Amino acid sequence: MSIVEVKELRKQYDPPKGVLAVDGVSFDIAEGEIFSLLGPNGAGKSTTISMLSCLLKPTDGDAMIAGNSIVHQSLAVKETIGVVPQDIALYPDMSARENLLFWGRMYGLSGDALKKRVDEVLELVMLVDRQKDRVEKFSGGMKRRVNIGVALLHKPRVLYLDEPTVGIDPQSRRSILDGILALRDQGMTILYTTHYMAEAQELSDRIAIVDHGKMIANGTHEELVKIVGEEARVEARVDRDLAGVAERWREVEGVVKVDREEDDVVLLARDPNEVLPRLFESAAAAGVRITEINVTEPNLEMVFLHLTGRALRD
Amino acid sequence: MTKIIAIAWKDLRSTARNVPALVMMLLAPLALAALLGFAFGGGGGFDIAATKVTVANEDEGSPSSIVTAGCVVAGILESPDLKDVLEVTRKSSAEAARTAVDDGKAAVAVIIPADFSAVVYGGGTTARTQVELYENPTQEVGGSIVEGVVGQALLEFNGARAAAAGAVALSGGDREAALAAAKAAEQFTRSGGVTAGLQISQRPPQLPGDKSAQDISITGSILAGMMVFFMFFGAANVARTILDEDRAGTLPRLFTTPTSYGAILGGKFTSVFVTVTIQAVVLLVAGRLIFGIEWGRMDAVVLLTLVAAGVSSGLALLVISLTRTPAQAGAIGAGVYLVLALAGGNFTGTAQAGGAFGIVQKFTPNGWLLQGWDTTMRGGGSGDIRWQLLVPLGFAVAFFFFAVLRIRRRFA
Repeated sequence: MSIVEVKELRKQYDPPKGVLAVDGVSFDIAEGEIFSLLGPNGAGKSTTISMLSCLLKPTDGDAMIAGNSIVHQSLAVKETIGVVPQDIALYPDMSARENLLFWGRMYGLSGDALKKRVDEVLELVMLVDRQKDRVEKFSGGMKRRVNIGVALLHKPRVLYLDEPTVGIDPQSRRSILDGILALRDQGMTILYTTHYMAEAQELSDRIAIVDHGKMIANGTHEELVKIVGEEARVEARVDRDLAGVAERWREVEGVVKVDREEDDVVLLARDPNEVLPRLFESAAAAGVRITEINVTEPNLEMVFLHLTGRALRD
Repeated sequence: MTKIIAIAWKDLRSTARNVPALVMMLLAPLALAALLGFAFGGGGGFDIAATKVTVANEDEGSPSSIVTAGCVVAGILESPDLKDVLEVTRKSSAEAARTAVDDGKAAVAVIIPADFSAVVYGGGTTARTQVELYENPTQEVGGSIVEGVVGQALLEFNGARAAAAGAVALSGGDREAALAAAKAAEQFTRSGGVTAGLQISQRPPQLPGDKSAQDISITGSILAGMMVFFMFFGAANVARTILDEDRAGTLPRLFTTPTSYGAILGGKFTSVFVTVTIQAVVLLVAGRLIFGIEWGRMDAVVLLTLVAAGVSSGLALLVISLTRTPAQAGAIGAGVYLVLALAGGNFTGTAQAGGAFGIVQKFTPNGWLLQGWDTTMRGGGSGDIRWQLLVPLGFAVAFFFFAVLRIRRRFA
């Protein structure tokens, strides 16, 4: 059953001539699912999150969060969601504990229940020892963890995470990703935005690829990569007779397509584990030596490239 | 309500940790009031310190006079009416009097020449002489007072001389008539006619129709002006956290929590209001303890303080609602507060101004507040400052109303 239902969401700043940041985006998220919005910077991910957080009013469309409309029942929606903004949104002159106590009150907690929940969240984000230190003295990763902790105080049914791993070290990133998976295992529904393909691939049950405010693909990782086919891309460089080698490899079993690109032979292969030894054998038989070879499994980067003509990192 | 208090408390704690802001809110107005107060003669009233004057009367008199004209002038300077403003000592010679000024022991030396009586009583219309004023140029106020007193005396003498000369001319050379005219002139001088126009009176500002109003401390008057002025800045400093939080992302995050716009704005307004109220209370108490200022009746003081806090808070929120960044708010706010302070009279104390300035003052909330403080410090109660409370309160409500409209539209 869907806990998030987004219908033709649209946001134009300063209409009618302003920037169209989100253009008719629709998707559903099932309860307990991690759903990622993957796209480059400026694709409209944060604007979508802002509308679903009731921070921005949509120009058109609506979304239901746990049965409440973001347009008409914003207060009820806000009680259901926890929002982790892209930038650290904490009070730096307050300690981690003071921050959590303050934000807990904003989520309607009070008294012993608030203190107990703050203790739990401090453990969850592994900052019990540093709880009395001012946030301004924390490392980037620690701030990120408090930033996430704030959104978990009221045990939201749906958690929005807007690029929560930007600008932090690999160890902190790993810790945050593990934490997100643990939350999903506890039954929390998560809407995650990122421009890191690997994160989306690792975390998500389903992924929506967005670009220029539009959703250009939506599905599981497997479903998405099928868009570009199941063949791996192999790029090989040889020491001589490039044309001859390319012709010989065209006949190798498992090779679907062969092209020459400058000094490389580029081919698509169905199962690279089986095809690669055959390529080496074929080259050796012709007295040609392979000096370099790269294999790229079908991935979201290739999907994005395939759908937009641009690399995700561009 | 819990959320409003939580937001206000968080901002208050943040302000309490901001040392530069506290210095500006509390120490600056006290320091300025102290400096200006002492510059105008201390905290005890409008008294001006007595000017030290030394008099060398070298007047040798005239054959016909009983009392020399020099003695009359010296007597005027030593008169009881002037004892609060002039501290007169006599010197035996002009040189000694000048030396007293050179040594800093006196601000002004009045040297009456030997032929003074001769010229005043019998020198005819063409006779000339000079009373010398030997002044320390840095003592402008004292010098001006002495110059005024002596100048007035000389005017009176000249008037008597002119009258006598006229009488002689009319007598047509009759020696007895001329003598009688000269005697009459001298009699006029001695009988007190000369001093008739020299009485100096101090007149502190008076409330219209209130003859029994108390004198107020000049430091109190100045501190009231500085307090209201710096309350603007105190409020602005706290209100600016709205823009700071918007940039830092905590304000948008607040809007993602189930907290209403009203509660968020209410919390912000409460923190601004409480901060400036505390600021005012600290300044009032410090003014009482450090300068001994009598602020007046408690009911009026409390109401004026609360209304002033309301005006400052409303104005600060309005400035915030009209600006985009903390830097803009700082620059525009400072301009608005300075113009209001100049127009409202914050830099001239609580004294009521007249003329065009008085009219301009009526268009500013702080101008009304300062009039309220003036009345209160003179012993007035809340009933006497009805309009000085209601008009600024109207300003505060209007400021807050427009600020809320703008802020809601901006963050909605």
